[in-house]
Amino acid sequence: MIHLFGDLLEGGFRAWSILRLLDYLSVRAIGAAMTAFILTVVIMPRFIWYLHRRGLVDQTRNTGVSSAFDKAGTPVMGGAVMVGCVLAACLLWCDPTSRYVWAVLAGMVWFALIGLMDDLAKWRARSGNRGMSEPRKLALQGACAALFVAWLASPWTPFPPREAATFYVPFVKHALFSSPFGYLPIVLLFVMLVGNAVNITDGLDGLAIVPSALAVSVLGVFAYIMGNAIWSHYFFLPLLPGVGELIVFCAAFAGAGIGFLWFNAYPAQIFMGDAGSLAIGGCLAILSVLVKQEVLFLLLGGLFIAEAVTSQVQDKIGIKWLGRRLFYRAPLHHQMQHTGLAETKVVIRLWIVSLILALASIATIKLR
Amino acid sequence: MKVFSRILLTGGGTAGHVNPALAIGRAIGDDRSTYLFVGVRGRAEAVVVPKAGLPMNYVRASAFPGSRPSLSWLPFLFNLSVGTLKSIAIVTRFSPDIIVGTGGFASAPVMLAAALLRRLGLCRAGLYVHEQNAAPGRLNLLVGRLADRVFLSFPDTLAAFPVNGVLSGYPVRRQIQTVDHDTARASLDFAVPAGRLVVFAFGGSQGARTINRAMVDALGSLLPYKDRVFIIHGTGLADSGGSYDAGRDTAARLDARYSEAERRAIETFYVARPFFHDIERVYGVTGLAVVRGGAGTLNELASLGLPAIVIPKVNLPGEHQVMNARALERAGGAIVLYEETRLEDGRAVEELDGRVLASAIVHLLDDAPRLSAMSLASRQFLQHDAIEVIRTTLQEEDAGKVVSGAQAGAIAGVPPLLSPAALLPRLERAWAAHRSSYRVEIEIPARGDRTYYVSRATSLLSDGRWELRNLGVKLVGLLQARDKLPLVLALFRDRRPAAWYKRLLGGDFEQVGFIRRNAVTAIGRLAVVTPDVEAALLVGISDPYYEVRSETARVVAVLEGGLSQAGRSALVAGLVTLLTDRWLEVVAASADTLGRIGGEHDARPVLLALESHRYWVVRAAALRGLASLVERGCAGDLAELEHHLRRFVLTATDFRPEFAIRTSYARVIDAIQTRRGSTS
Repeated sequence: MIHLFGDLLEGGFRAWSILRLLDYLSVRAIGAAMTAFILTVVIMPRFIWYLHRRGLVDQTRNTGVSSAFDKAGTPVMGGAVMVGCVLAACLLWCDPTSRYVWAVLAGMVWFALIGLMDDLAKWRARSGNRGMSEPRKLALQGACAALFVAWLASPWTPFPPREAATFYVPFVKHALFSSPFGYLPIVLLFVMLVGNAVNITDGLDGLAIVPSALAVSVLGVFAYIMGNAIWSHYFFLPLLPGVGELIVFCAAFAGAGIGFLWFNAYPAQIFMGDAGSLAIGGCLAILSVLVKQEVLFLLLGGLFIAEAVTSQVQDKIGIKWLGRRLFYRAPLHHQMQHTGLAETKVVIRLWIVSLILALASIATIKLR
Repeated sequence: MKVFSRILLTGGGTAGHVNPALAIGRAIGDDRSTYLFVGVRGRAEAVVVPKAGLPMNYVRASAFPGSRPSLSWLPFLFNLSVGTLKSIAIVTRFSPDIIVGTGGFASAPVMLAAALLRRLGLCRAGLYVHEQNAAPGRLNLLVGRLADRVFLSFPDTLAAFPVNGVLSGYPVRRQIQTVDHDTARASLDFAVPAGRLVVFAFGGSQGARTINRAMVDALGSLLPYKDRVFIIHGTGLADSGGSYDAGRDTAARLDARYSEAERRAIETFYVARPFFHDIERVYGVTGLAVVRGGAGTLNELASLGLPAIVIPKVNLPGEHQVMNARALERAGGAIVLYEETRLEDGRAVEELDGRVLASAIVHLLDDAPRLSAMSLASRQFLQHDAIEVIRTTLQEEDAGKVVSGAQAGAIAGVPPLLSPAALLPRLERAWAAHRSSYRVEIEIPARGDRTYYVSRATSLLSDGRWELRNLGVKLVGLLQARDKLPLVLALFRDRRPAAWYKRLLGGDFEQVGFIRRNAVTAIGRLAVVTPDVEAALLVGISDPYYEVRSETARVVAVLEGGLSQAGRSALVAGLVTLLTDRWLEVVAASADTLGRIGGEHDARPVLLALESHRYWVVRAAALRGLASLVERGCAGDLAELEHHLRRFVLTATDFRPEFAIRTSYARVIDAIQTRRGSTS
């Protein structure tokens, strides 16, 4: 928005040439991050008290770990504020003509709404377990993924025609293959899997938000490089004109995430709820696809993947099929807690892990 | 008296529905009435109704496939739709004055068609339903609300049909009149000695394997009473299509179990026949019946005032035989014995222990007043002339009088029986709330219910699916069924390996990890210590699955009061080996238990050795164990102990948070409770 404003003004008034700065992605990114952060920090306390007054708090979650009982009564749905602030910051700072940004925003909002419905269902049922049914959630996510995939294959796709259906793998300079029939199903599955992985990770105070912010920032860096003709050529990454705009979104997201962390750090004053975790998941998935780093996500989002995999293996293979536990507990953070680590220690150790993974992912830019 | 001239009857699918329909039909019409019976080809009604001389029409219907949507719903819905359409045509063409349905899936098409036509105003006939069981069948539940009246056989069912239910009773076959005792005796083709209790055991026209086998097994235990009982055993006709040849099976069993001499003694008080053509003559001499729980049978017996030992067939839809039996038992007219399932040559077989049956008979033998009380109770409970009630109701309806629903007083229904899956959470919550003061008698006060649940749980132990075996094991412990301990131990000792692909991914035995762990928990809850139990615990200590090892360690502490000297030393030695286990949960549990059962020389040194274990959880458990040793006075030199303790590493990676605000909140609430408690 400011971008357009700046365009208008610059043409008219030489004196306002300082607004030329707004052409720079980096400036707008920082602006978006600060805006999102400040908005979140200002709105969140009021929202927290609002939720308390309406009784929209967490129903007791019985995770079998003693600290869980202290979480009952904490408001949920902080993700809604986060999403709102990201939206506001983007609308303010992003270039409204960028199709990439609209794709991510739409996906984020769609997933956030699914999560919000689930949270409200859980609250109405007065139980932490019985929210919306699994098949229904998957169907709605699948619908979003399908629309996204259809859009990528359509004439309105943001990718340049050559890159529309290419599939890249880290460390390899050239595309692995380029075929709509192979690529689109991969994207579909990817969006659905990642969408849920963050949900599983959101179990301890502050656990999901920092790795997400890191992952999103790294994807923003990728976006910046791929949108820049010189740098993309230098690093052997495909050139996707216009994708650089995504870094403004990523910055806004990181800002809002840190703002959320302000309140979510242990002991948390608010949880992000399914609204937040599904929104983040959707965001990450769509971002990864838009910067063509689907496989890299296995490394970058390795924490989320590990949490999701351990959870599914323990549940589907162990408990339901073999009739025994394969690990002490699942997902990963519960396993760590069961062996005697305090919640705060688990969270910080996993932050360290995700930082290392993020740095490794950045390293893949150079190691090609 | 109003007589209906065009009568449409429907009911069937299974046999128990057809005879009541015929009885009612005959009662509400006369020689000039036109009848039509609608049923399903190839089912019971296809055989019985033509023999009774009524015209028959066939429609399509199939049995209800179960409440979870699955592929078998497609043929079910198809058949139902086609059948209903054809029924609409039949009803329109026949234009009956009255439609009577007695339940069973064969009546579904006609009932649905009738309901629809009445709603559309195209059919003026009265729609009546008769329910034979205490627990209403699924179809009758659905259609009953749409009917003008639902005639009920048991008072318990009134709760299900509060608006239009009428307690009529069961229309028994006309021929079952009371036959004089002496006439009856004279007419039988075998001699019934005088002055004995005559027990008549039968399981329907095709026999009931459980009853037949139990009866034969019981004969041995009844030999001492051979001068006081006489047993008439109706074994049933050979089922030409089926696998059970009642007569041959029974005779073979008799030969196999008893020696020549015993058999000769048995013959003095036992006679077996496949079938009795005039069963009322046998009823005439009978003092006690041993039967299944079918509504028809129970009602026949009740109308004659015969006390009964009922062995209901379990696992039927809605458990209707069990519910009928319980209803009669509650009223004092019957004793219920439950059959149990076990595996025989890989197939699930129901059986009842002959000794249980024998002891039930002997108890009644010695208790004549009880027998006559039962006789009176059953006569009172079910003595209605159903036909008369039905006729009267129809007449009053016709005359415009409104018959009130909840007749015969407000008799509280039998509390519903829970399925094992529903029972489990209830008992688990109770256990968690009461722990050592848990008594299953408090949770389930009725002894008959407890017996039923125990028999169901035991049957689950031999199910093919591990989830159900698991459920059975948990329930046996929670139901405190101490006599089933050997079964739990057998399950635990079963070390058959699992399929190879499961073993690749972490599986071990057919009796999966959860089952073995819950078996150990059940052993703890049953609180009986025998050499077998001690042996099992020793096996549990070296089980491949970690949760079994840790649970065994925990249960040893629970059972420590009953351990033998030798058992205790063996278990202590075993637990010491667990202290070097890879899984910290196991080490911690062992440390805790060693503190409770060990002593200065075996437990103390190993517990002290844990002073710098990697995991603080284990170190904390070791300290708890040492505390137990000190409290029990088995810790040896205390000064030396204190000195060693200083070497314990006390840094930890976890803590228990205390939220001051929550503590203050709890304090206020407590204060209020105390205040309230002391001033009231």
